[in-house]
Amino acid sequence: MISINGVHRTYQTGETEVHALRGVSLDIEQGEFLSIAGPSGSGKTTLLNIIGCIDTADSGKVTIDGVEVTAIPHNKLAGFRRDKLGFIFQSFNLIPVLTAYENVALALNLLQVPEKEIKERVMGLLGEVGLAGMENRRPSKLSGGQQQRVAIARALIKEPAIVLADEPTANLDSETGKEILDLMKKMDEKFETTFIFSTHDKMVMDFADRLVMLHDGEIQSDKRR
Amino acid sequence: MKYLLILSWKNLARHTKRTVITASAIAFGLGLFIFVDSMLAGAEKDSERNLIWYETGSVRIYAEEKADDWKKINLKNLLENPGDLITRLEAAGISATRRTAFTGELIVYQDPFPEDGSMQVRLMAVDSLRDANVYPVENALEEGGTWLQPGENGVILGSWLADDIGAKVGYPITVVTRTRDGAFQTLDLEVVGLVNTGNPVINRGTLLVDHDFADTYLLLEGAAGQVDTAFPLTSETGENVAAVSAALGGSLAGHELLTWEDLGADYLSLAATKQGGAKSILALMVLIALVGITNTMLMAMYERRRELGMMRAMGMKSWEIVASFTLEAGGIGVIGGVMGMILGALLTWFIVDVGIDFGFIIRDMDIGYRISSVFRGIWKADTFVVAFIASILVSMAVSLIPTRQALKMKVTDCLRSDT
Repeated sequence: MISINGVHRTYQTGETEVHALRGVSLDIEQGEFLSIAGPSGSGKTTLLNIIGCIDTADSGKVTIDGVEVTAIPHNKLAGFRRDKLGFIFQSFNLIPVLTAYENVALALNLLQVPEKEIKERVMGLLGEVGLAGMENRRPSKLSGGQQQRVAIARALIKEPAIVLADEPTANLDSETGKEILDLMKKMDEKFETTFIFSTHDKMVMDFADRLVMLHDGEIQSDKRR
Repeated sequence: MKYLLILSWKNLARHTKRTVITASAIAFGLGLFIFVDSMLAGAEKDSERNLIWYETGSVRIYAEEKADDWKKINLKNLLENPGDLITRLEAAGISATRRTAFTGELIVYQDPFPEDGSMQVRLMAVDSLRDANVYPVENALEEGGTWLQPGENGVILGSWLADDIGAKVGYPITVVTRTRDGAFQTLDLEVVGLVNTGNPVINRGTLLVDHDFADTYLLLEGAAGQVDTAFPLTSETGENVAAVSAALGGSLAGHELLTWEDLGADYLSLAATKQGGAKSILALMVLIALVGITNTMLMAMYERRRELGMMRAMGMKSWEIVASFTLEAGGIGVIGGVMGMILGALLTWFIVDVGIDFGFIIRDMDIGYRISSVFRGIWKADTFVVAFIASILVSMAVSLIPTRQALKMKVTDCLRSDT
């Protein structure tokens, strides 16, 4: 489903070159619940960004669902992301002026789904992530865990092929973090979506079906459970 | 598109104070624009009316030789038979009168005047019986004065001129001038009335004498400098000229017609310059308001970098980002436009109903407008509509600058930012 071949990525920080990824190759099957782990600066966020088509590799090839995304022109990538990918961020990144319902509905608005269908799907999914009755609350009226549930619903509402989550539990306490991981796992099984998340949290690593360890931009280990 | 409208509208409410302050800047510029435009339009309308009523009439007939240098005040190239022209015009239902402009030296002596003195003046001989058919000067007579009588040596002074030289009704004045054949002539005149019109040019420098009296002493032999006609102010100049031509039998042999626009060309060009200058100042104020919007939108963009990154990661396309920002700026334009129209309406109401008295300036300084004291505006619905639409469209247009900035940022940089 996802094929990464010899991906290199180098950043220029001042006069210093940072080799974030050094020839990373990886194959990910559909429906996998995969964690990319490693210490800070190991390249896990860069790898996630490249799979998410919001960053580009200097060299190497990334293919998603048979489409070589590294060959797609930059201005066409937004359309690919819109159709195929969902994102969950460490700091939730909800739009503060929109309600929980509107934040989730935004993903379908972008796909120009009819209003009636949006309502049915959003209300149903908010119920599934445990936010029934909270659809009219703005993010400021929700707890951190509830906000991340909204973010998960927003990522899943369009039923994407892949959901990318960058340290999804980093801003949550351990109990809430576990609830979120349980929810992600449940959604993974229900929607058969490929979940790829980065983390350096041991508990999160233990939760994944497959753990890819990165170190200094290279894959150190790749273990399935 | 609906979701973009909702998003933009809700974004406006994020920083209510900032939105209101930016909208207020637009409202101030817009309100002032509406106000000044109303005042200038009113001043032009009143000036044109006072120009026609007191200086030019609607259409003027000169002898053909005079038409090219009509600004030179002398007794050359007169109309030899103005009575015939007036008879034909009146037969066609057109009000007409004869007038003759000439110059002289006005001499006054201490007692009854405050002091001895002399000055060059421009006099106008008017048909005391017909002049009111074209020029409503008689209606502007101040209390205690009387109008000119045929053949008598009365003189009507502009009230400001009278004030300057200390003249009052009943005072004698002397004017040294030349007859039509160039001989010196001294006219002993008695001030019979003072006029205070809406036209500062008349108040500042007019001396009117009876045409029959002038005919006798200046040896005009029935001639006159010009024949002036009056048409309703709302009438079309082209039609007026055609009517005069038709009344004269279609043949203008020996005569030339000048319209009020020809005669008031200096004023019209001055008014156009003033309006251009005033609009430049207004454009500057609008520019300041627009800089405010640009600044607000730039701040909004920087504050929402992470949200922008998230939306672009979700697949929001460039045009949707542009639309969300421009709609938000358009929203500020709408709020500013509504506030500006309310402010403009209040200011216009004031300038239409009350006006601003600039008499203290105009009394001592010629600012070009033919208004003696109170400047009044007029209601211009089209200005309201155009200004409102412009405030929205221009607000949306200037938001493209920060939006371009937003689109230049990398998604990953946006997501990494602190805001």
